[in-house]
Amino acid sequence: MKRDEMEKRQFFLVAYVVIVLLTAIAGLSFVTSYFGKGSQISKPTTYDKYYVIITDNHDSDFWQAVYEGASDYGLANNVYVEDLAASFSDSYTKEELMSIAIASRVDGIMLSADESEEMTSLINEAVSKNIPVITLYNDSSSSKRISYVGVGNYNVGKEYGKQAISIAKGLSTTEDFDVVVLVSSSPTSSQMMIYSGIQETMEQDDLSTRLNLNTVKIDDTNTFTIEESIRDLFMDENVPDIIICLNELDTTCVYQAVVDYNKVGEVGILGFYDSEAILTGIDKNIINSTIRIDTKQMGEYCVDALLEYDKKGFTSEYFAVDIEVITVTNVRSHMEVEDD
Amino acid sequence: MIKKYRDLSLQGKMTLVYAFASALILIVNATLLWSINSVLSRLEATYQDNLNLNELSQSLDDVQNSMTEYLNVKTTDALEKYYISDEVYRNKIYMLDDSVSSDVNLRMERNIRYMSIEYLDTVSQTIEAKRGRNVEKYRIRYENATELYTYISSYIDSLNSQMFVSNSENFVNLSKGLRTTESISLTVMIIVIITNIFAILRYATQITKPLQILAKSANEVANGNLDIPLTEPAYNDEVGVVTSAFNQMVKSIRNYIERIKESMDNERKHKERELMMETHLKDAQIKYLQAQINPHFLFNSLNAGAQLSMLEGADNTYDYIQNMSQFFRYNLKNADKIITLGEEVKQIDHYIYILNVRFSGEIHFEKDIDEKLLNAQMPSMILQPIVENCVNHGIREMEGKGVIKLKISKLLDTICISIKDNGKGMSQEKIDEILNGTYRDNGLSMDSNGIGMVNVINRLRLFLKTDDVISINSEGEDKGTEVLIYLPIDDEGEDYV
Repeated sequence: MKRDEMEKRQFFLVAYVVIVLLTAIAGLSFVTSYFGKGSQISKPTTYDKYYVIITDNHDSDFWQAVYEGASDYGLANNVYVEDLAASFSDSYTKEELMSIAIASRVDGIMLSADESEEMTSLINEAVSKNIPVITLYNDSSSSKRISYVGVGNYNVGKEYGKQAISIAKGLSTTEDFDVVVLVSSSPTSSQMMIYSGIQETMEQDDLSTRLNLNTVKIDDTNTFTIEESIRDLFMDENVPDIIICLNELDTTCVYQAVVDYNKVGEVGILGFYDSEAILTGIDKNIINSTIRIDTKQMGEYCVDALLEYDKKGFTSEYFAVDIEVITVTNVRSHMEVEDD
Repeated sequence: MIKKYRDLSLQGKMTLVYAFASALILIVNATLLWSINSVLSRLEATYQDNLNLNELSQSLDDVQNSMTEYLNVKTTDALEKYYISDEVYRNKIYMLDDSVSSDVNLRMERNIRYMSIEYLDTVSQTIEAKRGRNVEKYRIRYENATELYTYISSYIDSLNSQMFVSNSENFVNLSKGLRTTESISLTVMIIVIITNIFAILRYATQITKPLQILAKSANEVANGNLDIPLTEPAYNDEVGVVTSAFNQMVKSIRNYIERIKESMDNERKHKERELMMETHLKDAQIKYLQAQINPHFLFNSLNAGAQLSMLEGADNTYDYIQNMSQFFRYNLKNADKIITLGEEVKQIDHYIYILNVRFSGEIHFEKDIDEKLLNAQMPSMILQPIVENCVNHGIREMEGKGVIKLKISKLLDTICISIKDNGKGMSQEKIDEILNGTYRDNGLSMDSNGIGMVNVINRLRLFLKTDDVISINSEGEDKGTEVLIYLPIDDEGEDYV
């Protein structure tokens, strides 16, 4: 046999086997890569600590932002922070969520508390089972919680007071001003602190005799009652001149009601939190100002406090989170940040 | 490996090619089947998590129910049921993950696990309180346990539905994957089978091609063409063996033909050489004679001698020399020429005269000639050598008076020339040898002019283009010989062209 013919034959044999094997390998590797995708996800990371956060309303932007601040900070410190309410298909009250967290033997609880007895006893139960509790934004001062992370409510009140006075001064009317503060049906201590801050600021001003400061209880026992009770305000003959809102939901509802009842310019709104809708309201001159809380800082402080307690056995009793007043003059810079 | 393949028989080769192709298909098929199978088993396991959770939920219900039953009726049966369900549930919850994971399902498992431990503790405390008949205590514990039970159930339900969602996604993906795998398998199989068909076709051609070549070669050989290119067998199988044998056969035939050609060639060469040698010998003899006597010189000398003898008045000598001169002149002049019969007769006259002077008139020459025939044409130097032959072999060795008779007569339409002697005659064998041309002179005799009988006969035959030109008769020992030559006469009578 000729040499080149032999080589040709060998080449053919090799080519044949290579084609068959390549086809088979290509097919197989395609199949394995197709199913390999699923198995890659099922390799989760594990963490040293497991903290839960229990808030008033886990859907609100404010609490979401706090949770994100805590979660990001936690992940960086090998801690997993979970928004407990989000993991249930049923919706539970804060007290129930507390019970679940205690029974689940978590490593720490961040709780937007209140001053009720039930909450206090739940906090005490948790602490007795060696689960440290940090109260967040709303304190339970009589409980054995290890620390409170919140804004300086008195200062917030003073800011609201200043804003209200400046609005009143901007109007050249000689009539009295009705200023109302929206509080929950069982007002929390922080709401009361804010109220007293407002009150003191107003009393120190020349206009104090013409400013009638009152609280209006908003029915927040049910999810949808808040919006209804706010609308009731506008159904009255005497619509307040200035409405001070102490949470995000109230602010949004009042903002919408003012637009709906055509009271833009007649009613001044002092809001809370810097959600996109609220910032838009300020930009349109419907909302006069809002208080921005550094939510990220709030979340970080919580985790930090729990970590410090875990490490040293104690931590500072109180962490004050930075606040900022947003008015039409500085709203643009915040909106740009939001856009980013 | 290839050498082994070449040595295989046809059957072995076909089996090997088939087996190789089948094995490849089998391997590819098996791997594809394996991958499909693994997908199927994963598909089957998709909802296993949900089933496990349902079982967990069922066990939890069992604990709760058995506790409630015991609290209600306080039977040992219910207590036993409680212990069993407690054990079962405990085993199940210890299977749950307890790490803090980024995976929400695993985190839920962790929480379910710890809550369940808490729950079981509470339940066992409730049972204890019931046994201690502490109504207030077990009522509170029961409420606590039930609360926890609700939370755990809710947790399990949430986990279950969450898992169901992700499992359903997985299921859909896997189903899609299965379809894809099926079509990929089909494509791969088709490609492999097509490749196989090509490969088998090629190997089949490789096996049968030598057979086709052999058949073509055999056909060529059958048609007498031995100059075909011989292809060496590629394989050592049956076809290879037959091809080798065929090649050997063709080579043998070629060799045989070559050998025959060679021996024929040798024979021809041998004859050529013999002929050449004869020619050369003749040449040599002629050159020898020429060297001995330069005819012109001889002729001129003779003429001088004739003149001298005439001056001296010796008439006989003059005649003799004159005759000799004429004789040699004829030989010189007429070699290879066509001359007349008369000229030939004259030459005989000169020759006899010379001989009679030499041998004192012992030869008696008689002529009986039809003068009309003397113009007939014929090759030169025919009659003189015959007469010379008569003298040398017939008369010279006899005793008494030798007689040579020349008779030229017309016989029907031929000229018959008869030269007869009364010498010692010739045997029939010798006559036959002379006529067949196989007679050889043993060298030239001293008195010969160099032209033998055989030469004369051959020239005559060539000239007349027929063998039937001469006959030699001898009636036996001492009874003389007669040579008869027949010249044809053309239509004009005497003249022969």
